[in-house]
Amino acid sequence: MASDNETRDMFVETASRLFSEQATREIINAFEKGTWPADLWKQVEETGLPWAAVPENVGGAGGNVGDLMAVLREAGRNAVPLPLAETGLGAMIAGEAGLTPPSGPLALAISESGAPLRIEGGKVSGKAKRVAFASVCDNIVVVASGQVAIVPKSAVKIDVKQGQTGEPYDDVSFDAAAASASAPSKVSPERALELAALARTNQMTGAADRILAITTQYSKERVQFGRSISTFQAIQHMLAELSTYVAAVAAAARVAARDAEEGGDSFSIWAAKTQASDAANKICAIAHQSMGAMGFTYEHILHHYTRRLWVWRRDYGSESYWGAKLGRAMCEAGPDAMWPSLTASKVAT
Amino acid sequence: MTMPKLDFPPFRLPPDAEELRTEVRAFLKEILPNLSAGERFKSWNSRSPEFSKAMGDKGWIGITWPKKYGGAEKSFLHRYVITEELLANGAPAGSHWVADRQSGPNILRYGSEEMKDTILPRIVKGECFFAIGMSEPDSGSDLASVRTRADKVEGGWRVNGTKIWTSGAHRSHYAITLLRTSGQREDRHRGLSQLVIDLKSPGITIRPIINLNGKHDWNEVVFRDCFVPDSMMLGEEGDGWLQVTGELAYERSGPERILTNIHVLKELIRIVGRQPGHQAQVTIGKLAARVWSLRQMSLSVAGMLQAGKSPAVESSVTKDLGTHFQQDLPEIARVLGESEAADENDIQEFLDVCQMATLAAPAYSIQGGTTQVLRGIIARGLGLR
Repeated sequence: MASDNETRDMFVETASRLFSEQATREIINAFEKGTWPADLWKQVEETGLPWAAVPENVGGAGGNVGDLMAVLREAGRNAVPLPLAETGLGAMIAGEAGLTPPSGPLALAISESGAPLRIEGGKVSGKAKRVAFASVCDNIVVVASGQVAIVPKSAVKIDVKQGQTGEPYDDVSFDAAAASASAPSKVSPERALELAALARTNQMTGAADRILAITTQYSKERVQFGRSISTFQAIQHMLAELSTYVAAVAAAARVAARDAEEGGDSFSIWAAKTQASDAANKICAIAHQSMGAMGFTYEHILHHYTRRLWVWRRDYGSESYWGAKLGRAMCEAGPDAMWPSLTASKVAT
Repeated sequence: MTMPKLDFPPFRLPPDAEELRTEVRAFLKEILPNLSAGERFKSWNSRSPEFSKAMGDKGWIGITWPKKYGGAEKSFLHRYVITEELLANGAPAGSHWVADRQSGPNILRYGSEEMKDTILPRIVKGECFFAIGMSEPDSGSDLASVRTRADKVEGGWRVNGTKIWTSGAHRSHYAITLLRTSGQREDRHRGLSQLVIDLKSPGITIRPIINLNGKHDWNEVVFRDCFVPDSMMLGEEGDGWLQVTGELAYERSGPERILTNIHVLKELIRIVGRQPGHQAQVTIGKLAARVWSLRQMSLSVAGMLQAGKSPAVESSVTKDLGTHFQQDLPEIARVLGESEAADENDIQEFLDVCQMATLAAPAYSIQGGTTQVLRGIIARGLGLR
C-alpha cells in the first residue's frame, strides 16, 4: 500500500507542529520524575498520529508504515516522551490481523527465540525484558509465533525499571495472562523486531538532526576570546564531521523506511539500524565536546537527545545484533555475492 | 530553531540503468582475466588502452553525450552504474577515466564546435586520453594562486610554467590546463582560463614523480614557450575559475569515493570463510552497513544531479565520509583477517592486499578536495562561516 505525498506531508506537518509546540522541556523533565504526560498524549491521540499505519476498517488513519516512520522522525526530533513507535507498530500489527486496537498508549512485547512468549487459547505465557513504556500503558501488544494478542496491563506482572532516557523499560511477566483479543498474524516476531528496529532508527535520525541543530546554533551564540566559537576552524571542522555522521544515519533510515513501505527485503533495516547504532556514540561525543560543560548540565536540553541516542542504539537490536545478522548472511553468501548484495539491498544467492 | 539543511532524499536507479548493470557485469566477467586478489588490486586504477578500446566498442564511454559526437544520449545514472561496476570489479579503466569523467563533459560544455568534432568522437572510441593540469608546486588546495601563464601571441597563446601531480600525463594525449591569461597572481580567480593542450606539442617536458608505492602515475609537466592555438581555449578567456569550481563540485560524491578498495571487503569475506565467529560477523556487518549507507548517500546525490540540482554540500559530506571509510577499511580488515582467517595458508596474500590498500589510502582524502577543504565547505553549508 503506497501513501501519496499529500498524506505524508499532512502527517509530518501535524506531527512537527504538535511535537515542537507541546513536547516541552518541562514535560520531558517531568516524565523523567514520574509524571506521565497525560495531556500531551490526549492531544497526540486526537490527531490520530499513533494510528498512522493502521487500516481504516479498524479505526486507523489508513496510511502505511512509511507514514509512521515519517511521524517517528518528528517524534525523535522533539524527544517526545511517549510510546509512539510501540503504539504505532502494535496497533498496525494488531490491525492487520483484524483486531481493533484499543485507544490509549500501547507497549510492544516481542517474543525472542531465547525466551519465547506463547499465545495459546487466548492466554499469554512467558517473560519479556526491557519492554519500553509497559508500566504507563493500559495494554500490551504481544507478538508471538503466528499469533498476536492484546493484553490488558491488569493481567500481567510488571517489574518497573527506569531506563537511562528517564522512560520506563520494564520487565513483564505473563502468567497465562488473559488477552482481551488475539488472532492469527502474518507478522512473525522476527519481522516485528525488524519493524521496531526500523522505528528506532527513524527516531534516532530525528534526534541526531536535532543534536546537529542544537550544536550549530550554540556555536554561533557562544562567545569566547571575543568571538563566537563558530568562527574557530577547530569548531567548524568538528561540526562538519558531526554532520557527516548525522547525514549517514538519515540517509540509511529513510531508505530503509522506503524499502519497508514498498515491501522490500529486510537487508535495508539490518544495515540501517547497524549504521545508526554504530554512529550514535560518535555523534554524541562530538556534540558534547563542542558544547563544553554547558551541554553536560541537566538544565541544557542536549542530553535529552544524546541520552536517547545512547539508549536507542541498544533498543530492538544493537549494531552487534543486526551487524552480526548482516555479516553472517553476507559471509554465508560468499565473496562473489558481496557486491551484488550491496547493490540489490538483498543478500544475493 | 532552524535546522541545518542537509537533505538526502532516497533515490532508486531506474530499471533501464539496472539492466545496463547486468550487461556490464557480464561483459567484465568475460573480458577481465581471472586474477588473484593481489594481482587484481595491482590492476586497479591501472591503465589499459586495450581495455579502454573494448569499452569504447561497447559504447560505454561518453555514454551521456550527444549522438553526433558518438555518444548514446543516455542519462547520468547510466554512467553512474558503469562507474560502479568498473570499480567494484577492479577493471583497469585508468586510461579513459579522466576523459570520460571530467575532460569530455568540460569540452562538451565549454569547447568550440571544432574542438568537440575533433576530440569527443575519439574519446568515445576509447582512443583519446586526458590528464588534468590544475595543481602547481605552490598551488594545491588554493587553486586561485596558479602561476603558470599563457601570454597572447598571434593565433594563440604562449604557455610557461609548471604543473605538478599530473596523473597519467605521460600516457595521455591532452591535458586541460588551468592558466593565468591576464592580470597578476594577486588577482586570484580573475584572469584564469583553461586551455586544452596537446601533450606532444614542442616546449613540453614531462617528468615522472614516483609515489610512495614506487609507482609512476604522477608527473611534473613543464611548459617552456609552448604554443597553443586559439581554437584550444575552453570557453571564453577569463572563464577558467568558474569552469574549475563547477568541475570540482561535479561528482565529488561519485562511486570512486566509496568503492575504490571495496575488493578488500570482498577478500575479507573470502578469508574468514562461510561461517566465521561472532566478532567477525559483527565487524563485517558494520563495514557492509557503512558502505551500503554511503552508497545510498551517493545515489541520493546522483538523483539530485540528474534532476538538475547542485547539492554541493551533500556531495562534500559524502566524499568526506566515503574517503574515511576507504581509509578505515584496510585497517579493520587487516586486524580481523589476521585473527579470523579460516585457512592460515591464505593469510599472507590477504595481508599483502591489505598492505597495498593501506599504502594507497592516504591519497583518498587529499585528491578531489582534502578533508580540510571539504569540512570548510560543509561548515559554510551549516551556516558557520
